[in-house]
Amino acid sequence: MLVEAGHFALALALGLSLIQFVVPLWGARANDPVLMAVAPTSALAVLGCLAFSFLALTFAYVSSDFSVLNVLQNSHSAKPLIYKISGVWGNHEGSMLLWVLILALFGGVVAVSRNTIPMRLQANTLAVQAAVTIAFLLFILTTSNPFTRVVPAPAEGQDLNPLLQDPGLAIHPPLLYIGYVGFSISFAFACAALIDGRIDAVWARIVRPWTLGAWAFLTLGIAMGSYWAYYELGWGGWWFWDPVENASLMPWLAGTALMHSTVVMEKRDALKVWTILLAILTFSLSLLGTFLVRSGVLTSVHSFAVDPERGTFILGILILFIGGSLALFAWRAPMLRQGGLFAPVSREGALVLNNLFLATACATVFIGTLYPLALEVLTGEKISVGAPFFNFTFLPLIVPLLLLLPLGQTLAWKRGNFLGTAQRLYAVFGLSLVATVAMFAFTYDGPVAAPIGVGLGVYLILGSLNEIVTRSWSKGNSLAVAWRKASGLPRSAWGTSIAHAGVGLTVIGIAATAWGVEGLGTLKTGERLKAGAYEARLERVVPRVEANYREDAATLTIFRNGQELGTVDSMKRLYVTRGMPTTEAGIMTVGLGQVYASLGEIQPDGSVGVMLYHKPLVLLIWLGSVVMAAGGALSLTDRRLRIGAPVRAKVGPAAPVPAE
Amino acid sequence: MTRKQRRLTLIGVAGCVLAVALGLVLYAMNDTIVFFNSPADIQAKSVQPGTRIRLGGLVKEGTVQRGGDQQITFEVMDAQASIRVNYKGLLPDLFREGQGIVAEGMLESPSVFRADTVLAKHDENYMPREVADTLKKQGHWQGEANAAPKTQ
Amino acid sequence: MVIWIILLAMTAAAVMAVLWPLSRHYAVGRQGDPDTQFYREQMAEIERDQARGVLLPSEAEAAKAEAGRRLLRATGMQGEAFAAVGEPALRRRRAASTLALSVIPILALATYEIYGSPQLLAEPPGVQMQQRAGSLDLMSAVAQIESHLAQNPQDGRGWEVIAPVYLRMGRAEDAARAYEAAIRYLGPEANRLANYGEVLVLAKDGLVSAQAQAAFEEALKLEPALPKPRFYLARAAAQDGHADKARAAYAELLSASPADAPWTEAVKQELAALGEPQPAAGQQGEPQIGADDIARMVSGLANRLEAQGGTADEWARLMRSYAVLGQRDKAVAAAQRARQALSQDDAALKTIDTMAQELKLTDAQP
Repeated sequence: MLVEAGHFALALALGLSLIQFVVPLWGARANDPVLMAVAPTSALAVLGCLAFSFLALTFAYVSSDFSVLNVLQNSHSAKPLIYKISGVWGNHEGSMLLWVLILALFGGVVAVSRNTIPMRLQANTLAVQAAVTIAFLLFILTTSNPFTRVVPAPAEGQDLNPLLQDPGLAIHPPLLYIGYVGFSISFAFACAALIDGRIDAVWARIVRPWTLGAWAFLTLGIAMGSYWAYYELGWGGWWFWDPVENASLMPWLAGTALMHSTVVMEKRDALKVWTILLAILTFSLSLLGTFLVRSGVLTSVHSFAVDPERGTFILGILILFIGGSLALFAWRAPMLRQGGLFAPVSREGALVLNNLFLATACATVFIGTLYPLALEVLTGEKISVGAPFFNFTFLPLIVPLLLLLPLGQTLAWKRGNFLGTAQRLYAVFGLSLVATVAMFAFTYDGPVAAPIGVGLGVYLILGSLNEIVTRSWSKGNSLAVAWRKASGLPRSAWGTSIAHAGVGLTVIGIAATAWGVEGLGTLKTGERLKAGAYEARLERVVPRVEANYREDAATLTIFRNGQELGTVDSMKRLYVTRGMPTTEAGIMTVGLGQVYASLGEIQPDGSVGVMLYHKPLVLLIWLGSVVMAAGGALSLTDRRLRIGAPVRAKVGPAAPVPAE
Repeated sequence: MTRKQRRLTLIGVAGCVLAVALGLVLYAMNDTIVFFNSPADIQAKSVQPGTRIRLGGLVKEGTVQRGGDQQITFEVMDAQASIRVNYKGLLPDLFREGQGIVAEGMLESPSVFRADTVLAKHDENYMPREVADTLKKQGHWQGEANAAPKTQ
Repeated sequence: MVIWIILLAMTAAAVMAVLWPLSRHYAVGRQGDPDTQFYREQMAEIERDQARGVLLPSEAEAAKAEAGRRLLRATGMQGEAFAAVGEPALRRRRAASTLALSVIPILALATYEIYGSPQLLAEPPGVQMQQRAGSLDLMSAVAQIESHLAQNPQDGRGWEVIAPVYLRMGRAEDAARAYEAAIRYLGPEANRLANYGEVLVLAKDGLVSAQAQAAFEEALKLEPALPKPRFYLARAAAQDGHADKARAAYAELLSASPADAPWTEAVKQELAALGEPQPAAGQQGEPQIGADDIARMVSGLANRLEAQGGTADEWARLMRSYAVLGQRDKAVAAAQRARQALSQDDAALKTIDTMAQELKLTDAQP
């Protein structure tokens, strides 16, 4: 009964969204505040309906109601409770429901932020948001309905794909979706501004927190997904340049650019047209990501839906929204007023460069991801564009960006002094160089790229630190004064520095992978396998039976230079219901690095193939991402962002502005 | 600087970055892209030894031999041809005789392939997409493969 | 009944969410221009923040100055004044209310009617729960056997035990696989083969496939008097279009069995079906759907494919439907038409050929 009510709520949300789309737009055109006031209440009602609908589906999962086809196909009564719940979005239909729920959630937050958004902008924004909701609700109802029933109900379900029975999955898609869908708000604001024909710094100040929030969640989502792939797929890789991963990286790159260009727009009223375009592109790439993953045009571990009907529908949505918004852009953008002026060497100039590099890098990922698909459609030739392509094209575009980052961060607004700025970074240059040389000396016969990469990371961290130090400490001041000044800096300044330092941490983590070592061998009980300074001894292989799988668990003792560190368990599992085998890697964290053991087949004579990796500093990759997201979150808490207080532009490099 | 000069500077820099990016992409397209081939393709196109390719097909039943130290050889076949594959490493979970796989590596001679990665990505039918497509094209695929043993 | 009240209440609440702001026009009207209102409120909030010490005085000053500037600008734009009162505004509100009152309920009910399962609303929810309680023991038993079999896949007896359970759970294909394993490890035995054949038939919705037929024939070789394979082979004959042969086989089976044998009734039904003219042969379909319904569905599919064409799978489905209904000649005709329609598509032709061979439509070969 609850399930049917949930289904009905979904239908109700469709009707409400239609009202939310039509009435506020009409109100904004007719200048009627009463009609515009329909937008927030209907947005909240849509949120209520979708939340109820989602809860109803969750209830069906928790109570193992196999009369619901979706539950039948993706759940099993013997599954632990947490995977019953995460199973709700571990499949195509449920994940799309989560997608619109998050969309409505953002709409609801816009609806209650009455005090920070002018009424007309709010009405138009919610109307655009409703258009997206309508499209996706239609998609769900017609092609991916999670509430389809099976009568009579079978007694047992078919279980969730075992790869997905993992805590990582429980959080990865929601985080990613909050990021993807969060950009829909920037998109809706951009379209609303185009419809209204008015756009200024206030607009940028209103949009920036939403972009920032979406970006922080997307960062966490991508990091989570990467970590999940790292420990669950058993190959020990953390990024495969798989199309599914690229699908989330592209909106991230565009979103990062957007986040920076809104700063320029907010402070200097410049780059308006470009910012609007970026907002549209970022959400378009989010939609593209949804399309790539959900339509089944790619087959990889992530795409569990293969259905041309759905693909065509999402392609339609994609064309409608990207085409529609770009047409709106082409029609309205020329009417926007020219913004403030700035010299090429200035903070604005640096941020333009940042946008240029990010957008170009995004474009290369786009080409690498879609070219094979296009080629296959056009010629039938199958190619694979893998890591070599992306490393070759992406890195040369990202490394200059990272090199410029601390410089740009230090430059003044409007007109900067390049040499003066560089002078302020002498210490940073020097220390990073020392770090690089020290690394070379320390690992003199190791790979060349690693110390350079680590040096780059150190440079980024020190550069961010330098920004805080120079803004709060000048010669002759006591430490106490400096501390007071530093804590008086706006939170957004701290947020920026922390996020950039996070980039540095991730860069160090990535560079250090070059020092990784691995060993491969077939082990009998008591035998040892070496990987660099680390060694593993096979203790025993024990079969175990759990509720929904059985496994052979190998216990390995890990040694470093002959000294025992402890044991890890690595498993070969067979999920009985689906008859699907998986590998669970045994992972031991040593400092910031990890020892990673993966099992091969178990031979009839009891010996087992083992792959042992040592991955120094590997945790920094994800830790850095978490720090980036934390920096974004800290910026979000800045009071001035919320009430939209302007910040005076920093005029000269030598004159710290007391107002900040 | 006037507004016009500034705009020219901007366009110039953007043009440079885009040109570099385009160059990189074009160069990489020539150099790093790996073509997908089935054993029959390798014979038909007479792919040069030393070329890096992706090889897809079915693991021939009864050909998997495990040497010491995780050294593994097996044959990958399609309807028309088969090729010997040498691989050192752990096989993926879904690697089985008779199932479809994709191996990436170097063609050593027209009949021997050295793989450095073996993938068994799959849909519900335990069949990598490329392999399924190829087999379909060759007309050796039925949706319900085991339903009609008499057809072959 | 209760559920309808709930759905009604949900709809009412949704409509109210739209009507409520529309009815508040006096409040909004008195507020005046919402844009200037927005900046006034913002200035008030900045003052509150400054008083609480969250903002530095200089920051607050700048913020207030900016909000003031925007307030001035918004006031200056009174040319396009907000129109919340007056006759046109009233008409707009009425139109919006009518829109909400009609669109929301109609769209929601129509959508739900199309995609939902309203017939399930009548069913008391308790029934399903009781069923589940009964099946819970069964399920844990299945899980136990499954994990045992995962460890000892050579245990043919285990496979044989679990096969009928799978069948009862509606997993006919798993049951077939289980019997296959049982036959592999315990060896062929007449009853086992017969059961194997039966689940194959059930997995194909009543169609006796070539594979099932082979199983039945082998079973009869081992034990010629076994009724189950004889029954299904008779049905296979009927499906192949040999009605006389089928009738003879059924009659023979009937005379050889004791009068109170459990299968007598089924055999008599099949015989009766064969005796009647063609369309009624659909009796052996699912019992809850009438033969007429099936015939109608099949002819609907046939008409659609004829008119608009379709995929190979759809043509194959049509062929199979005719075969299950015992309308062999039509199945043959469908195969030929499918070949014409799909002659450009090799893969599709392959599917049709496969289906034709599976259905033993030998005269349908090109």
